[in-house]
Amino acid sequence: MTQPVFSRRNALGLFGLAGLAATAGCGSSVGGGSSAGSSASGGGGAIKVGLVIPQDGVYTPLGVDMKNGWDLFLERHDGMLGGYEVETVIGDEGEGPDTGVPAIQGLIQRDNVDVLVGIVNSASALGAAEAVAAAKKVLVISNAGANAVTGDARNPYIWRASFNNAQAAFAMGEYLASQQPEGGVFLMAPDYAAGQETFVAFKASYEGGGGTIAGEALTPFGTTQDFQPFLSAIPGSGAGATFVFYSGGEAVSFVQQYAGFGLKDTVPLYGSGFLTEGSVLEAQGEAAVGIQTALHYSTEIDNPANTEFVEAYQEAYDVLPTCFAVQTWDAALVLDLALADAADLSGDAVSEALGGVGEISDSPRGAWTFDGQSPKHVEYLREVQEGDGGLINVVVEELGEYGQ
Amino acid sequence: MTEWFADNFISILNGLAIGSLLFILAVGLSLVFGMMDVLNLGHGALYLIGAYVGFQFTGGISSWGGFLTALAVAAAFGLVAGLILSVATEPLVGRGHLDQALLTLGVALVVAEVISIIFGDDVQNVVAPPGLNESIQVFGNTYPAYRLALIGVGAVLAIVVWLVIEKSSLGALIRASVSDREMVSSVGVDNRKVKAGVFAFGSMLAALAGVLGGPVYGARTGLDETVLLLALVVIVIGGLGSVRGALIGSLVIGQVESLGRANLPEFASFMLFGALAVVLIVRPRGLFGSKVGAP
Repeated sequence: MTQPVFSRRNALGLFGLAGLAATAGCGSSVGGGSSAGSSASGGGGAIKVGLVIPQDGVYTPLGVDMKNGWDLFLERHDGMLGGYEVETVIGDEGEGPDTGVPAIQGLIQRDNVDVLVGIVNSASALGAAEAVAAAKKVLVISNAGANAVTGDARNPYIWRASFNNAQAAFAMGEYLASQQPEGGVFLMAPDYAAGQETFVAFKASYEGGGGTIAGEALTPFGTTQDFQPFLSAIPGSGAGATFVFYSGGEAVSFVQQYAGFGLKDTVPLYGSGFLTEGSVLEAQGEAAVGIQTALHYSTEIDNPANTEFVEAYQEAYDVLPTCFAVQTWDAALVLDLALADAADLSGDAVSEALGGVGEISDSPRGAWTFDGQSPKHVEYLREVQEGDGGLINVVVEELGEYGQ
Repeated sequence: MTEWFADNFISILNGLAIGSLLFILAVGLSLVFGMMDVLNLGHGALYLIGAYVGFQFTGGISSWGGFLTALAVAAAFGLVAGLILSVATEPLVGRGHLDQALLTLGVALVVAEVISIIFGDDVQNVVAPPGLNESIQVFGNTYPAYRLALIGVGAVLAIVVWLVIEKSSLGALIRASVSDREMVSSVGVDNRKVKAGVFAFGSMLAALAGVLGGPVYGARTGLDETVLLLALVVIVIGGLGSVRGALIGSLVIGQVESLGRANLPEFASFMLFGALAVVLIVRPRGLFGSKVGAP
């Protein structure tokens, strides 16, 4: 869902991590590349997990949520995954592959971790694929949604416990095709990989279901502060609904301006769930009420696992969980299941065990399975409403199961 | 023609609003660089301070008290920061723009990081004061009232700054110290004070722009770089050290970003720098570049 933005912090991170990587290189040459792992095989030993999350840059809030999800799972399972005592080493992913890939290399070579978890940015995930394959370590991705990660660019060591970019857009396309908004749908997304994947998936299901596209606009990613020039095309297009994919800062500006230019009341707004997920929803405020989105999670899903999860999360961190926290919780959950069956901690054994976990029944998002190496799960139609403690994403209906 | 105008009315209006904000931001940079010959890359950080001051005092609640307090606090912050920057760059006079750029960029990095530590990296929302916090009908189009007010504020500030620089005795002193420092100091004026004054005023405007821009752009990390880039483009297009140049440059960029993007969305990414390139090819000094101030 993400793409690197070049900024001076990025550049600084690059310098910093270049230094780190150099140190890591020295460490491994001295210690010798022991891919045999530091832990005893079989149950009852210890496992070292590298958690790669952004601790600097625009995705830092996601990194916080992911760490919370991970910590909460371990806390509620006595610090154990599949019978192994867990030691977590954190690596800073930064904003893009220029920092994310060295962070992963450092964890593999310097810290000698057995398994890796995390990664927000799809470009970092694609960049890391080679490193984890060469080291034969399993990476369980807990965000990065580019289809290619577990599609064209797949290798046996990369598993995904989050989502892929096409799912929410495809589900929403089917739903809007069934709703038949008069005048068709206007599409908007940032002009980068995730935005383009969203366009393709939405059109495939929406036009496949007989809908017409009233118009579309790809906005320059990272440099668009003001959406008015693009928004002004919507009334003229005669569209009866707008579907967008925005996240983070762009989601906040977009939703506020959509309301500010009076479109919210005339052309209903639909989106991929990241439009109204987590801290952005708070910043959007009243402008977000009534927006409908599709996502694989909402805090309002009614199942025992979610109720327990939301309660525990709120107690521990005093905020509502986000899909990013759930995805990392689920990464821990699948590792917990897989490690219990794995013959040893080698990448091949863990990967094989992940292939055999079957249905993951007690996830907060509801039961899901691996379709290939990426989740097949229910997409929920959610609507932003005023709740007791602020805005929430209320589940309107289930849109069905979607896979790789 | 009238039909085209009606279709694009909102885009033109919006270009004016963005242009007004850019003018408030860029005029300070233009004066400091063009007249005082100091390249201040910390200008974006001053805007960022203003944006977060706006967030701190409005805190998601629409109120005139909070908004006006934020404006006053940001102005004070800007004045002090400008004085500090002026003193800090004083030893670098005559050592070229690179040293100034390094120093002010360093300050900007520290400021941005401190803000990120204090406020975190979440995107923060700044709410417009009551009455401006809604949309109104302008010739059958819905338009945010706050942006209309922004056009008014920009126009008033443009007139005030122009009068001060071009018509007042203070402005004459500033212009005199630019053209001949030695002569000004030989008649008993400390031209370091003149420089500090211009620096403080320009920085104050940047911080005010941060508060005023809050309801449009919000407050978030990385905004400092974005606005610094826009301000640099504006002063390059308008020409250094000229109030009129900064105003025209701002209005041009406002329209390019608004009207241009609306009509040619497929070129949106390149339009800003395309306009810059055209101006540089046709008129390298900028549209209103002053001969005296240009380095």
